Amino acid sequence: MLYINGTVCLSPQPTSDTSVFLPEVKEYHSNKIFCIDVDYSKFFDAGSMRRMGRIIKFGVTAGILALKDAGVETPGAISTGTGYGLMDISQKFLNSVIDSEETIVSPTSFIQSTHNTVSSNIALMVGCHAHNNTFAHRGFSFESVITDALLLGKEGFDNILVGAYDEVSDHSYRSMMRMDMLRAEPCSNLKLFSESHCGTIAGEGAAFFVLAKQKSDPTYGTIKACKTFPAPADANDLKRTVLGFLSDNGLSPKEIDIVLSGHCGDAKADRLNNILTHDTFSEQSILAFKHLCGEYMTATSFATWLAAKMMKTQTIPEVLYLENRNREPRNILIYNSLKANHSLMLFANV
Amino acid sequence: MQVFVAGKGVITAIGNNVAENLQSFYEGRSGISDITILRTNYAGKLPAGEIKFSNAALAAMAGLEGTVSRTGLFSMIAAREALQDAQIPEPGKWRIGFLSANTVGGMDITENIFKAFHEDHTKADLSEVEQHDTGAITDIVAAQLGIKDFVTTISTACSSSANSIMLGARLIKNNLLDIALAGGTDALSRFTLNGFNSLMILDDKPCTPYNETRKGLNLGEGAGYIVLVSERVAKTLPKKVMASLSGYANANDAFHQTASSPEGKGNYLAMTGALAMTGLRHEAIGYINVHGTGTNNNDLSESIAMERIFGIAPPKFSSTKTFTGHTLGACGGVEAVYSLLAMEHQIIPPHLRWTAQMKEVPFKPVTELMTGVEINHAMSNSFGFGGNCSSLIFSKVN
Repeated sequence: MLYINGTVCLSPQPTSDTSVFLPEVKEYHSNKIFCIDVDYSKFFDAGSMRRMGRIIKFGVTAGILALKDAGVETPGAISTGTGYGLMDISQKFLNSVIDSEETIVSPTSFIQSTHNTVSSNIALMVGCHAHNNTFAHRGFSFESVITDALLLGKEGFDNILVGAYDEVSDHSYRSMMRMDMLRAEPCSNLKLFSESHCGTIAGEGAAFFVLAKQKSDPTYGTIKACKTFPAPADANDLKRTVLGFLSDNGLSPKEIDIVLSGHCGDAKADRLNNILTHDTFSEQSILAFKHLCGEYMTATSFATWLAAKMMKTQTIPEVLYLENRNREPRNILIYNSLKANHSLMLFANV
Repeated sequence: MQVFVAGKGVITAIGNNVAENLQSFYEGRSGISDITILRTNYAGKLPAGEIKFSNAALAAMAGLEGTVSRTGLFSMIAAREALQDAQIPEPGKWRIGFLSANTVGGMDITENIFKAFHEDHTKADLSEVEQHDTGAITDIVAAQLGIKDFVTTISTACSSSANSIMLGARLIKNNLLDIALAGGTDALSRFTLNGFNSLMILDDKPCTPYNETRKGLNLGEGAGYIVLVSERVAKTLPKKVMASLSGYANANDAFHQTASSPEGKGNYLAMTGALAMTGLRHEAIGYINVHGTGTNNNDLSESIAMERIFGIAPPKFSSTKTFTGHTLGACGGVEAVYSLLAMEHQIIPPHLRWTAQMKEVPFKPVTELMTGVEINHAMSNSFGFGGNCSSLIFSKVN
């Protein structure tokens, strides 16, 4: 268990201001939605502003702002996750390799293309020489970061900066189209769950957290546990896994107040979510989040930010509800799936 | 709590398995050669540690479809060897994790379909598109090996698979896993070849690390994995466990995105951190498999950090990248296997092509194969872009 003492999220919604919680909700009419930019020039010099890929800017900025939110100058360790990595900049480099038939390539985009660029740039900016990890495993990327952090907490590390970031790149968007994951027609993100459809909307964002052994005043709440598992055979198999996870953490389903479900708006992909939230969690308030941030490999970091804000403010924005059963945000469970990657995360308020 | 090494597997330019790699050390046979498999303009111009098998031949070896990326094929071959080597009597009894690492994912496939795919996304095969990301490679192998309890991928440039091995040990120590199959894989690609070339850190001859006259690195490809087990699992094994993973540390240089600090701060912190975990004095280390890429920058920072820790007479050391080239995300796994082989067979793998003493430090690597060397503790260094520095220490189990 670790306390969440600071967090900042940059997303397609107005989430960057730590003093408020979703002051308004943005509606988009597209099958891809992008991060709302903040003024990155406060964090990068003019040269870096020109050279650096967008994901580095919003990833690093979210990390630095999360430290500021927690009042921590140099974290005790850094662990981050990204599904596709720095795809846009990699694509730029690959284009130059292919277009020039390997004759004219510039190192600038290659240097930035490695998955650990965001994590190491944060280390560089805050002078953190400690443990520095980057996980890049699809729908487990952020969850692996949380597992890493929970281990680090037991190993004597404190004030661990964790986060995740992914971008809608041309390549990732085309790939999601090719995999039939996206809506063929433009749709409103706010009507993502309104009727049975095929496909979801592509999204992006960065969310960072400072996890600590002692609570700050005020803290956001706690992250208690995380589990990743492959696609369950059926709804019963999923139920067994969820109940096992809860019981490992001394909880029964009744004690859960909120389920943040990774519904994505694709009827087929949401089938297990629907069964779980109707059957196992019939007394809980059921919330969704992907209509706000879109689908991406580390979307659970956005859900984690929502959980943190709900715990701290003890409010639940109306726009999140799939089912409102009048529960207060005390024990929160995130269940997410992205193809074969399924995950659970557990939070509790203080 | 101790974490034991129960098995190892490796495929590189000097062999398809552990035995062949060991034999290449005995014969001093380098795997650096002209590129013949990867389709690139640099064939014949920039040598590499290329594995001389086509994807179809590798797929037959791996028991996978020929459409799987080279990164995945290497991973499958080495990971399966490590698991078989471990001879775990009842694997179904235990919680098993697959902690893999790579930096390029299915780039070898992506770069072939890229043009057509970006003109029309329906032009590429679904399986080609699905294999692009680093995690895809791990998922393919995990599914093939039937590993479900914990699966992830680390991508911290050249220290990736040292970090996945470290994570395996940490998960076992915290009783989240009983068995961790950990390491990494990477295939040569035009992406990395052109990238490193644009940084002007590739040698156009076989690399000469730790030489005053060194000109850069050669890229390589392959995979290396070890099987880490808890004490409880170790007791059930039919063969004697040879080694434990006694120390490890992950540090960051926090100096520059691609260059290491002149004093090798990250390197120093990784090595001293790993030593501190073992509780050993530095004299106890019998062999260091250095990161030793052959770039001016790496070898200088690493050797200065070594001098600071070990003094003017450090332990015997060599860079096996003189055999394999720099296998990037795989090198931590590959060189963990080599460090274990050194202890087990009492050898120091030779550091090839050494001719010119570096002027900044008074020591040199072991340039001829040494046999009959009692090594109780071996260190393996992996340092990378982004200042990611990791060191592992393996200890002989008596």
